[in-house]
Amino acid sequence: MVSKADWEIAPIHIDPDTTEKLFFTDHEWDTIEAAAARIMPTDHDPGAREARVIVFIDRYLSGIDYLYAAADGSGFLQLADKDAHAARARNANMQRLYREGILELDTKARELRAPSFKEASDQIQDEVLEQISGAPKPVPVSLTSREVYYSRLQGNTDEGKSFFDTLCLHVRQGFYGDPVYGGNKDQMGWKTVGFVGPKSLKDTMDGTYSTAEFFIQEYDWEDLVPGFKHSQDPTSNQQQNGQ
Amino acid sequence: MKRKMDPVDVVIVGLGAGGGPAAKVLSEAGYKVVGFDKGPWLRPEEHYSGDELKFQNRSYLWPDVNLMPRTVRSDDKSEARIFNFSPVPSNVGGGTSHMAGWMPRPRVSDFIFHSLHGALEGASLADWPYRYEHLEPYLTKVEWSYGISGLAGADKGEGFRSKAYPSAPLPPTSFGKKFYEGSNKLGINSFPLPMSHLTEGNALGRPAVNRTSFWNQYGDPTQTRSSVATTYIPEALATGNFEVRADSFVREVKVGKDGKATGVIYIDPSGLEIEQDARVVILALGAIESARLMLLSSSNKFPDGLANDSGLVGKNATFHEYIFAVGLFDRDMEDPLHGWTGNYQSGGSTHFYETDESRGHIGGGIIATTQIGQAINAIMPGRPTWGQAMKDADRDYFDYSMKIGFILQDMPQETNRVDLDPTVKDAWGMPVARITNKPHANDIAMSRWQIDKNQEILQAAGAKKTIPVYLGDEFTGNACHQQGTVRMGTDPAKSVLNEWGQAHSVENLFVLDGAGFPTALGVNPTLTIMAHSWRCADYIANTYMKGRSERLNLSPIKKS
Ligand SMILES: Cc1cc2nc3c(=O)[nH]c(=O)nc-3n(C[C@H](O)[C@H](O)[C@H](O)COP(=O)(O)OP(=O)(O)OC[C@H]3O[C@@H](n4cnc5c(N)ncnc54)[C@H](O)[C@@H]3O)c2cc1C
Repeated sequence: MVSKADWEIAPIHIDPDTTEKLFFTDHEWDTIEAAAARIMPTDHDPGAREARVIVFIDRYLSGIDYLYAAADGSGFLQLADKDAHAARARNANMQRLYREGILELDTKARELRAPSFKEASDQIQDEVLEQISGAPKPVPVSLTSREVYYSRLQGNTDEGKSFFDTLCLHVRQGFYGDPVYGGNKDQMGWKTVGFVGPKSLKDTMDGTYSTAEFFIQEYDWEDLVPGFKHSQDPTSNQQQNGQ
Repeated sequence: MKRKMDPVDVVIVGLGAGGGPAAKVLSEAGYKVVGFDKGPWLRPEEHYSGDELKFQNRSYLWPDVNLMPRTVRSDDKSEARIFNFSPVPSNVGGGTSHMAGWMPRPRVSDFIFHSLHGALEGASLADWPYRYEHLEPYLTKVEWSYGISGLAGADKGEGFRSKAYPSAPLPPTSFGKKFYEGSNKLGINSFPLPMSHLTEGNALGRPAVNRTSFWNQYGDPTQTRSSVATTYIPEALATGNFEVRADSFVREVKVGKDGKATGVIYIDPSGLEIEQDARVVILALGAIESARLMLLSSSNKFPDGLANDSGLVGKNATFHEYIFAVGLFDRDMEDPLHGWTGNYQSGGSTHFYETDESRGHIGGGIIATTQIGQAINAIMPGRPTWGQAMKDADRDYFDYSMKIGFILQDMPQETNRVDLDPTVKDAWGMPVARITNKPHANDIAMSRWQIDKNQEILQAAGAKKTIPVYLGDEFTGNACHQQGTVRMGTDPAKSVLNEWGQAHSVENLFVLDGAGFPTALGVNPTLTIMAHSWRCADYIANTYMKGRSERLNLSPIKKS
C-alpha cells in the first residue's frame, strides 16, 4: 500500500474564474450558483457568486482529486488504497445527493410557477429554499432572545447531512475556505468578516504568516492575575497552599 | 501465511500520548523496543499547514468514520448507530499531533475522589491506587522534556510543584483579556493556562511557538507545538534501541499456556499478518481501542478477553464532554476580540474545581477561554444557516464573540462502557468498539451550573448576549478524552490493573494510556497520561525487568 505519508501530489491548480465544468451540466451549474447566491447573498460585500463558490463545489463533486490540497498549496494529494476507496464511495453519494437536490429545486420552483429554479425571482428562490429546509427563512440574530444548545462533535464534516444542509455547509466552505480550493476568490470571504488569513498556505508552514500582532502587547500578569507575585527565581515560585 | 519477526524486549501498541513516553524511557534504559501504530508516520514540515477545510471539515487527520467506525447507544436496549465517537487521529503521535494543548496538572483531590465523597448512587467512584505526590516528579519531568509553558503559582489551588515551568506563557489574546476582566470582577482566580508549546527564551532552548493560530485540530508544520512525534519518538529513536512500525494494525495480543502475553499479531502495510514476540506488551491505543484490543484478544485462559477475569474490561468508561458558553459583544462599543487568534486558548480557571455541595453536585473541572475558530467553522451556536441573516451574523460577530469552555468531569458508571459491536467491522475486518453511555445526574447538574457560571463571567466581561451549550442526554465524545475502561486499583476483583498499570492477572501486560484512570479528573487528561506512562515505564525498566516487584503502601486519608 501507499502510506498516507507518501501520497503523491498532482500539480493541479484551480482557476477561480474558470467556466469549465468537471461535474455539473450547464443547467446544474447555473442552478447551484443561483442557490448559493441566496445562501450567501451579495450586498455591499461580495457573496457566493463573486467568490466563485460554484467552482469550489464543482471541483469537490468531480471525484476525489480535489479533496485535500497539498500542505503548501502546490497541488492536490492523490489518495491511495483504503482512503481512496472510502472517499470514492462518499463522493458517489454526494454526487447523487446533488443531482437529486437539483431536480427538487426545479420541481419546487415549477410548483410556484417559475420556469426553473435558476430563472425564478429571488423571492421564489427563497421560498423554495425555505421549503426544502423545512423551516422559515432565518431571521437576524436577536440579542434579547434566549436559546439553549447541546454539545456536538468538533470536526464538522458533511457526512450524513440532507441536501439542503450539505449545500449550506459547502457554500460556507467555498466562501471561507482557502482559495487554493477554487472558492474564496481573492480572499473575498475572509475580507468580508475581517479574518486576516495567510497569503498562501505555504506562508503558514514556516512562520511567515503570524497573528502575533493581535495578541495584547502591553500586559503584566500581576495585574491580570490579582494576588500573583512574579518570582525572580523561576524554580522558587512554588505552590505552598495546595496540599 | 504467518511470518514471525525476531523477538524484542518490549512491544508498545499505539504511539500517542501514552506510548511516546514509554518508548523513550524503555529504549533509553537499554531495552529493545518496537512501537506499532496503525496510522502513518506523517512528516510535519511536509504534511501540515493552516488549511481549515482539510483539517477541520474533512478527514485528513480526523479518523475517517467509514474506515474506523465506532457505534454508540445510550443503554442495552437501544440499537447502536455508527458515530465518530471520541475521534482521535490515527498516526504516529496520535492525539498529540493536533490537540489543542491544554496541559493543566491534576489536583491532589483527583486521586482520592472516593475517600472525599464516599459512594455516589449510580456511580462507581474510586480512589486511585497512587496519589498526587507519587505522580508529581513525573509531571515535572514531562513539563521539562515535552515542553510546556505556564505561570507557576498563578493557579492558587494547584498541588505542590517541585519546579516552575520551563517557559513563560504567551501574552494574553484580546478575548483572554476580557476573560481576566470578567473573572476579576467576580473574584474568580484565573491564570494563563499551561500549554504544550514553548515561548521565547524558554529554558529548553527550543524554538518559540509559531503564532499562525491554526492550532486545535491542525497539525503543526513548524513542530513548535510539543507532540510525541517530534519529542519522545525521535529521542527514543536516537538510542538505536527503538523501531517504529507505522501503518501496522495490531489485531491481537497473544497469550501463552502460562497465561502471560507472548507478543502481538499485526497486519503490516502490505496486508501480511505478522507475529512479534516480546517479554513485555504495553498497550497505549487510547482507552477505547485498548479495551477493544483486549476484548478482541480472547484465549483459552481468558475467554472473555485478555486479563478480563474481573469482567471489568471496557467498563467505567469516562469521556469528559466539552461544553461551553459563547458571548456576543456589541461591535459599536467594543474593540474586536479576534476570537480566531491565539493558540487555541488563553486564560483559564480552576476556581470551581473542588466540590462545593451547595452547587447541587460533587466534583468540578477546569474552564478556559478558547478560540472560536477560523471563518468556516467559527463557533456561534444558533447562527442563521443561510441568507442575509447569516451573512450579517458572520460580519457582526466573527470578530466580536468569545467562548468559555468547560471540561466536564463525568462520574464513572459501570454501565458506561466499551464492548465489541456484534455487526459493524472496520477496514481491517475486525469488530469495532461499541460505546454505551448515559450521563449521570451529577454530570447534568454540573453541566448546568458551570455553563451558567460561564455565562455570568461573559456578562461581567461585557457580553450583550450569552449562548449556553450544555451536555445533552448522551456524551458525543467531543472532548476526545477517554478514560477508565481498564481500571487501576488495589483489589483484583474491582480493577484490572495495579498501580503500575500492570494487569493483575497477566504480569507482563501493561496498559499505559488513560484506560487505567479510575476517575476522569477535572482537567484534560494528556499531561497525566504522559506522566503516568513515564512513571509506569520507570517501574518496568528498573523493577519489573530486573525480576523484582514492588507494591505501594498508601497511608489512610485524613479527612478534614
Ligand atoms: C481535537 C483534539 C483536541 C484535544 N485537545 C486536548 C487538550 O487540549 N488537552 C488534552 O489534555 N488533551 C486533548 N486532547 C486529547 C488527547 O489527544 C488525548 O488525551 C491523547 O492523545 C490520548 O493519548 P493516548 O496515548 O491514550 O491515545 P492516542 O494519542 O489516541 O494514541 C493512540 C494511538 O494508537 C494507535 N492505535 C489505535 N489502535 C491501534 C491498533 N489496533 N494497532 C496499532 N495502533 C493503534 C492510534 O493510531 C493512535 O496513534 C485532544 C484531542 C483532540 C482530538
